[in-house]
Amino acid sequence: MTPTPGLLEVDVLVIGAGMAGAMAALAARDAGATVAVASRAPGATALSSGAVGVAPDPTASPDEPLAWLRAPVEAARRLAARRPDHPYAAVGVAGLWRLGEALRFAARQLEPLLAPPLERPRLLATPAGNAVRAALCQRSMDAGDLLAVRGPLLVCGFAGHLAFDAALVAAGLARYTPRGGPEVGDAEVALPFDDPAARPHELARALEPPGAAERLGEALRIPAGALGAGAILLPPVLGLDPAARVPERIAAAAGMPVAETLSDVPSVPGLRLHAALEARLRVAGVARVTGEAAGAPAPGRAVEIGGTVVRAETWILASGRFVGGGIARRGALVEPALGLPVQAAEGREAGVHLARRPAASLTVRDRRAPQPLLSAGLRVDAALRPVDDRGRPVHPRLLAAGAVIGGHEQATDGSGLGVAILTGFLAGRAAARRGA
Amino acid sequence: MTFGAMAYLAYRAIVAHPLKRLLRQRGTGEARFRAAYETEGLAPTTEADRAIGLEAQACIACGLCETGCALAAADPAIRALGLHAAFRLYGRNPAELPLAAGALEACAGCTGCEALCPTGVPITRVVGALARRAHGARPGSPREPSPSPAARDP
Ligand SMILES: Cc1cc2nc3c(=O)[nH]c(=O)nc-3n(C[C@H](O)[C@H](O)[C@H](O)COP(=O)(O)OP(=O)(O)OC[C@H]3O[C@@H](n4cnc5c(N)ncnc54)[C@H](O)[C@@H]3O)c2cc1C
Ligand code: SF4
Ligand code: SF4
Repeated sequence: MTPTPGLLEVDVLVIGAGMAGAMAALAARDAGATVAVASRAPGATALSSGAVGVAPDPTASPDEPLAWLRAPVEAARRLAARRPDHPYAAVGVAGLWRLGEALRFAARQLEPLLAPPLERPRLLATPAGNAVRAALCQRSMDAGDLLAVRGPLLVCGFAGHLAFDAALVAAGLARYTPRGGPEVGDAEVALPFDDPAARPHELARALEPPGAAERLGEALRIPAGALGAGAILLPPVLGLDPAARVPERIAAAAGMPVAETLSDVPSVPGLRLHAALEARLRVAGVARVTGEAAGAPAPGRAVEIGGTVVRAETWILASGRFVGGGIARRGALVEPALGLPVQAAEGREAGVHLARRPAASLTVRDRRAPQPLLSAGLRVDAALRPVDDRGRPVHPRLLAAGAVIGGHEQATDGSGLGVAILTGFLAGRAAARRGA
Repeated sequence: MTFGAMAYLAYRAIVAHPLKRLLRQRGTGEARFRAAYETEGLAPTTEADRAIGLEAQACIACGLCETGCALAAADPAIRALGLHAAFRLYGRNPAELPLAAGALEACAGCTGCEALCPTGVPITRVVGALARRAHGARPGSPREPSPSPAARDP
């Protein structure tokens, strides 16, 4: 016997609960629409470094002073001008114009987790010792902004925690010192509990109980004093739950600002981002459905997802790329939720015919060259409606947002979460207008 | 090829193989395969094993499944490398699979992991199948294949 499926009638159905889907849902809800979000599992958002990359600056020269960093919105404009297939270009000048508004909206929605946006990007360290620009970052990362550190920066690892090599990070960051970055030193301290082999999420949890963060902070005083440090940079394991205030407590005990680096996978900051989005959706009164949409019909028609039947006039597809499952390799590239046409490659050769080739043939030998496979996805018009191979919208009330839109290598080109926030915000607002 | 490897191959071809042929008992193909290779840890793969292996291949080693997993904490290797090591390492090496039986058994069948997996690996099923295979392959193991993890749950 199958249970009688519930029926859910809303203005907007969002498929996918990553950054793009959550932003779309929150933007539509904020504009007065009723919204349901359906998702199968966490996506790339939960694997991200935890900070929002908006755009690398394509015109920056590698040895210019760090302080010359262009504002995220300006960098995105330059990127759009050079890459006509990038989603920043696809949304048109009017769409990209709203990037600043979208970022502020995201920061407000994720208020307890994210630090308020600045005019300039923050320059944050990766666990490989590179500095990357982030338009938004978690509060736990803020004090590590290379442009804001006052005095030498102490990179400190934990004895036995092999996932973080403080000397490597410090050596990497020292390359930025001549360009205006801080002096850098490195050290290692013992953890205040006896299990340094713990996985990142276990370390993060172990630092949460009263006393643990404080003891770590006190231990940090010694190497920080020796270096005369102005701030301390730690591995990205400073608590799973932001409410435990792990970075703040370590900083209070150490007597100076403390930050964590961005993260590789497994990513504790990514998990925090995922949890914060889910919590925000709950608070905003968005209906949540768990399950997979497969072979769904079209907006306006009822669709069954995970035992719930949902009916909505407007759908937003925010199902991600290969990690999220929005685009899948089944011999050739397919979009499994609605069966929309997938486009591979950028530039002149772009087209649906490429996407129909075996997926393995869409990679090129030169690893630094653009990989058609990695930027494959849906093509959209300026209103974010997916288009067919002749460029016509597939359905007037079907929108797309986030990494399911092709034209950018979302995991590596430094614009993944920025695209998710902008397109999610625009799609959500547009969907709410139609619903009204 | 080293001298040692050559000598081993020669020993196999000239001594071991003819002896085995002389002494072997007739039986089904599978029985003969098992008699010849199981002691070396090479159990035959079934269609079902292969299907499980393919499903496990969707794993991208992201570690999302580990948060709150009993199995991940049970074995130092899994502990160090992540829950996916349970099937990434052990699933590929039938010879060492029996050594992992104890660790694999730590899976509580809670299915907490699966809802977290972005690529949809049926982790509980993969781990359950490996645990069953590990027990089946252990020479002289009296243990019946364990029931499906879900069925074990109270
Ligand atoms: C390892 C890694 C690191 C990254 N680091 C960064 C970074 O540091 N900074 C940055 O800006 N960007 C980063 N990115 C890129 C960024 O994470 C992604 O571009 C962004 O998260 C995409 O968000 P999304 O919402 O479009 O997709 P996802 O976050 O992938 O979400 C897709 C959602 O759709 C759901 N879904 C898919 N198909 C279906 C279906 N049929 N039915 C129901 N639900 C479905 C999934 O379950 C999931 O919930 C990184 C990416 C990766 C992979
Ligand atoms: S079902 Fe097994 S593998 Fe999955 S979380 Fe539970 S104990 Fe871990
Ligand atoms: S969540 Fe899935 S993809 Fe990630 S490590 Fe676990 S099994 Fe592999």
